Amino acid sequence: MKWISQDIDMFLKEKQYVDTAVLPLLPVSFGDDIKKSVAMTEFISLLSVQLERQFRGRLIMLPGYAYIKSVSEDKLVSSLGEWEAELKSQGFKHIFHLTSDSMWNALEDRLEGGLIWLPSLPLEHMEENYKNSILEDQVKQLLALFVQKWQNGE
Amino acid sequence: MSKNRVSRRQFLNYTLTGVGGFMAAGMLMPMVRFAVDPVLQAAGESDFIPTKQKVAEITETPTRVDYTYEQQDAWYTSEVTGTAWVYKDEKGEIVALSPVCKHLGCVVDWNTDKSNPDHFYCPCHGGLYTKDGTNVPGTPPIAALDVFPYTEKDGFLYLGKAEPRKEA
Repeated sequence: MKWISQDIDMFLKEKQYVDTAVLPLLPVSFGDDIKKSVAMTEFISLLSVQLERQFRGRLIMLPGYAYIKSVSEDKLVSSLGEWEAELKSQGFKHIFHLTSDSMWNALEDRLEGGLIWLPSLPLEHMEENYKNSILEDQVKQLLALFVQKWQNGE
Repeated sequence: MSKNRVSRRQFLNYTLTGVGGFMAAGMLMPMVRFAVDPVLQAAGESDFIPTKQKVAEITETPTRVDYTYEQQDAWYTSEVTGTAWVYKDEKGEIVALSPVCKHLGCVVDWNTDKSNPDHFYCPCHGGLYTKDGTNVPGTPPIAALDVFPYTEKDGFLYLGKAEPRKEA
């Protein structure tokens, strides 16, 4: 389910079936790595749309968590910790962070939720058809991962 | 020439009728156009969307058929990809099923659950459907998978808009 009124109505009705929250992590920077941060944000946004379509019945795709790259890691981790605490208290059993920013890999141990890191692909030069099929392939790989996590959690 | 002299009165009559006629036509034409517009619209193209699947190559195993169409949201046109599970049943008739689970809208897959081979399986909450799209009782879905109407054109499969199944 997306973070839109129509889907949230469904969420309120079928709450017992929705136990997973996905939070895309979207870096913002205006320094030398501006292009890189844009590419990562773009890729994760597109991927989250596809992922939501595949699993719309069991997960809620939160609006992305945008952060400034220059902010210290400690601050980001504690801020993300607040998200996790809130989601946990709302009864979400599985929390996933979706990102292309490799900074998070080093911080994975300090996060409570699962971290899904995917290298961002240069989608800007791709044709629409090709882009879609690549994103679908990525989602297919995530599919197995999600199903496995769900089965382990039961 | 000189026999048919047009009097001033006749001349004015002719010109007034002519100009008035044009004005009346100018007012009536758009009204008539608006009135018959729905009729003209209906003659437009059909809603069937072409796929890359050749009809002759459809087998008895359900296969994924992707198709793209352009969706218009006000002034913004985007390309949307849709999917259908297509196969031939025992009678040799084509069946095209929507992959959207009738429970909460996840995407179902064919033959992915090892304990239930030859079923459509929904990874979200374990929904099961038999090959013809009927939901298996005891699993969350409450209705059968939607069915696409289809046509064949030049050997390729064209899909319409998915509809809920009438029976069951």
